[in-house]
Amino acid sequence: MARYSIAIDVSRCSGCGSCFLACKDEYIGNDYLPYSLAQPEQGHKWMDLKEIEQGENSKVKVNYIPLMCQHCENPPCAKNAPEGAVYTREDGIVLFDPEKSKGCREIMENCCYGVVFWNEKENIPQKCGMCAHMLDNGEKAPRCVESCPSKALLFGDLDDPNSEISQYIAQRGDFAVLNPEYGANPSVVYRALPSPFITGEVILSDKMSECCEGAKVVCECSCGSKFETTTDFMGDFQFKHLKEGQDYTITVSYPGYKDFTTIVTLDKARDLGLIVLAK
Amino acid sequence: MCDKYKFDNVVRSTAWSPGPGCHGGCGVKLYVKDNKVVRVEGDEEHPFNHGRSCPRMMALTQYMYHPERFLYPLKRVGKRGEGKFERISWDEAFDTIEQRFNEIKEKYGPEAVIFAQGTGRDIGGAISFLCYSFGSPNWVQLGLSGQSCYTPRLGAMTMVQGAPCVADCGQFFEKRYDDERYQLPKYIVIWGQDPSAGCPDAFMGAWVVDCMKRGTKLICIDPRNTFYTSRAEHFLQIRPGTDGALAMGMLNLIIENKWYDAEFVEKWCHGFEELAERCKEYPLQKVSQITGIPQEDIFAATKAYATNNPSSIHWGVPIDMCPEGTTVAQAISLLWCLTGNLDVPGGNVIARPAFLITTYPYDTQQMKDLYGEGIMDFINTKRAGADQYKYLANFRGWAQPDLMVQQMIYGKPYPIKAAWIQTTNVLGGQAADLNKHYEALMNMEFNVVVDTFHNPTTMAVADIILPAATFAEKESFRTWYTPLQIINPAVQVGECKSDWEINLELARRFNPSIREKYPTFQHLVNERIGAHGFTYQKLRDEHNGWVYPTEGPSVPYKRYETGLLRRDGKPGFETPTGKVELWSTRHEEFDIDPLPFYKEPPESELATPELFKEYPLVMVTGKRSPLYFHAEHRNIPWLRSKDPYPKVEVNPKVLKELGISDGEWVWVENQRGKVLRKVKASIAMDEKCVSVPHGWWLPEEKGTYPDFFKAWTHNCNLLVPVGNQSSSGYGGGAYKTTLCRLRKVSPDEMPMLPPEVHDGAKEF
Repeated sequence: MARYSIAIDVSRCSGCGSCFLACKDEYIGNDYLPYSLAQPEQGHKWMDLKEIEQGENSKVKVNYIPLMCQHCENPPCAKNAPEGAVYTREDGIVLFDPEKSKGCREIMENCCYGVVFWNEKENIPQKCGMCAHMLDNGEKAPRCVESCPSKALLFGDLDDPNSEISQYIAQRGDFAVLNPEYGANPSVVYRALPSPFITGEVILSDKMSECCEGAKVVCECSCGSKFETTTDFMGDFQFKHLKEGQDYTITVSYPGYKDFTTIVTLDKARDLGLIVLAK
Repeated sequence: MCDKYKFDNVVRSTAWSPGPGCHGGCGVKLYVKDNKVVRVEGDEEHPFNHGRSCPRMMALTQYMYHPERFLYPLKRVGKRGEGKFERISWDEAFDTIEQRFNEIKEKYGPEAVIFAQGTGRDIGGAISFLCYSFGSPNWVQLGLSGQSCYTPRLGAMTMVQGAPCVADCGQFFEKRYDDERYQLPKYIVIWGQDPSAGCPDAFMGAWVVDCMKRGTKLICIDPRNTFYTSRAEHFLQIRPGTDGALAMGMLNLIIENKWYDAEFVEKWCHGFEELAERCKEYPLQKVSQITGIPQEDIFAATKAYATNNPSSIHWGVPIDMCPEGTTVAQAISLLWCLTGNLDVPGGNVIARPAFLITTYPYDTQQMKDLYGEGIMDFINTKRAGADQYKYLANFRGWAQPDLMVQQMIYGKPYPIKAAWIQTTNVLGGQAADLNKHYEALMNMEFNVVVDTFHNPTTMAVADIILPAATFAEKESFRTWYTPLQIINPAVQVGECKSDWEINLELARRFNPSIREKYPTFQHLVNERIGAHGFTYQKLRDEHNGWVYPTEGPSVPYKRYETGLLRRDGKPGFETPTGKVELWSTRHEEFDIDPLPFYKEPPESELATPELFKEYPLVMVTGKRSPLYFHAEHRNIPWLRSKDPYPKVEVNPKVLKELGISDGEWVWVENQRGKVLRKVKASIAMDEKCVSVPHGWWLPEEKGTYPDFFKAWTHNCNLLVPVGNQSSSGYGGGAYKTTLCRLRKVSPDEMPMLPPEVHDGAKEF
């Protein structure tokens, strides 16, 4: 048994579009039966690239997320699909049978990740098939993975503890699936996904021309978790990887000055700007 | 299996425009089936790119076999702008061009024909052989105001340290990062660029990521947030056009705090006291005010760069587009000189072509041998701008573009009557002041355009069109910088010929010594690389197409100690003093300030406060999309589908104030004109700037007059002036500093149209 996966390290993705193009080159005008019919010339993005901008003021981060079929263990697209229309290979690759899926729009509509497209001409749903035809042919990785210039995409077998992908995931320790709440348990995993952050800059009321280095900043989440940091030599602090929708209490303290406290309801990445500590 | 997995053979070659369009260098594998390229991949054995490529490369088959590609020579049969062209043979095309150019030469002199190119790719050789064989001094990057693309930086580096430098990513070694001589930079300063999107000037953007993965940290200087700024340890969000002030401020901090390499400065630099004195005019507070960057950020970034050797600087075209671009480049290059980062591992290394082989002659004797004894004096005194700018007369063989466009219209100091236009879509691409360039080109008696597709330039002004081959269809060679590599044809498409073939054939007709020396292109290659024991065939058959020099003057490091940099073999640099010239003796000779200084952009909040009230946003053009090369590729469906519209990127706060929504079409306008753009709300943009990507025309729209593929509706260069060139003649094109405003579109308002101009075409 094998469970093929693509591990995506968002910190390495510069948004160059090579994966997007490689997918077009592989599938437009090319049938790979029994797995797939050709991708239409226009409209489909079996491999897409989402640009995510976050932050405020001068604290802005730009990231790119390659997004394609997540190859779920419990594929939501299979719900209500005709027998055999959505199937999972022994290696974990989820595929649509071009014959049996004909006319079944629900396959597309039920995908929680929005990565299934409708082919009007053929009257079928279509998506990334992890280049199963290439793997069958002895190739080592799907086209998108092959094409990535910064190795943000890594392909391999999750069931093999010695595979490069398993080792990399173990070594990093912070890969996770997209939207675990869907309960789909995808094979595709990500790390360094953009998550909300809180930044700010601290100065002291009687030393306004200098940055305040070494101020203690505590961030307490309404969910109970608590983080602590100190401002750097530029007076900046940053809490990364926070959760959307939670309330965070930020407390800044510095010996000899009054504490500063504020509560932030995190709907997106926030920059608290300049925080002046009074005597 | 489908066709793309069945192939007859694989041809290994080197990418270099046309096709992906870029500055090239990547090793490529072209899979051929039935004489068609069916698949393209990066060559994993090639040390330049290690198997990587890019979207434009992967779309190459769409480009090569596009139904609208030029496949044979055409001549215009209707009026200019009517879009009526008729197929002709190559013989007829060559004969006509030869005859028409010779007629003009007889009547007005060879200087009346200009040879125009776009950004420098695999064209310098082809176009200079033709231009000089015909006898014209006017080789020109027509339209590129201030020639503001790399030339100012190359000029400044040549003056300061005798040769250009590049950030060291191990590119001079076959083993790259693993070569034992190499060291990783502690910091890379990315100054004004998103290297992954454009792969500029013989530099692959992914090399920066390679270094980051190995531990290099980043310092980014940019008005815009990008992938790189988001990962930078220091990000200086600069006001466009003020890079000179920042560089001066950084120099000042380095000198004040003694962060410079005292031993290197003492032994190898000229003019330190004078520079130190000048830098005092740029204290931190003042620099912070000019650039809009907080003082502590400038201080911290400068300290990080200057006190962590080795570190390197990788820079972009915004430097050239600053007012006094040459001087800004001079200031920045002094940063790596002062800090001991010059020609050391992981620093900025002196970049020389592999084995010192150049693909066409630069030096005087070779020029005289080919083109006759009087050639140098003639071109150095006659080319447009040579009488005004000593840089132009003494440095590079290009006429001054801002002066050239005037001369084409007004005929002073001498008339220009014909244009050879190759690797450039003047009206859809680089030309500032579109109207003026349209008028100038229309005023010509005869225009030849060499290109791959119809575009606003071919439609508006071409009299003869010649179909150019892509890199996959041509023989060529490359030494920019290392390795020495060949471009190896895989297939033939239509009757397309390479720029080299086209130009050599005409050059032979104008210059018997070219005919005699180079009966085929391979004769030329073999002559230029022969001294090192190579031939084109040998490189192709025995070396996989490329070879790295392992030692000698084209291999770093510290060549100034061993005498490898100077013609006379003495230690030091190829400058008049033999040292790094912090105070430039060449600049003094050229009547330019020998020391760097800062100049405010011609239009800005500070320089023109009244104008700023009316146009309160800085229009930054030139943002690169990884899917397009400048004005190309909008007709390639796969690429277009990822970035379909001409956009203006605006901070949401600005949009809110103006009552404009994300996705709305708006006018971007100033006192010169207006263009239609689709709004992309982006917090990555500074609130004082908008990003307006360049090179936009719509190949799917009508190409004939007055539509010209909607160039006059979308091309942002309608808003950019000519005439802001620096005191050197190089730099200063206001592509990133022009003021503008955004305005909602009313349904009845028409876009701009091409002006009514004199059509100077002489029928034939």
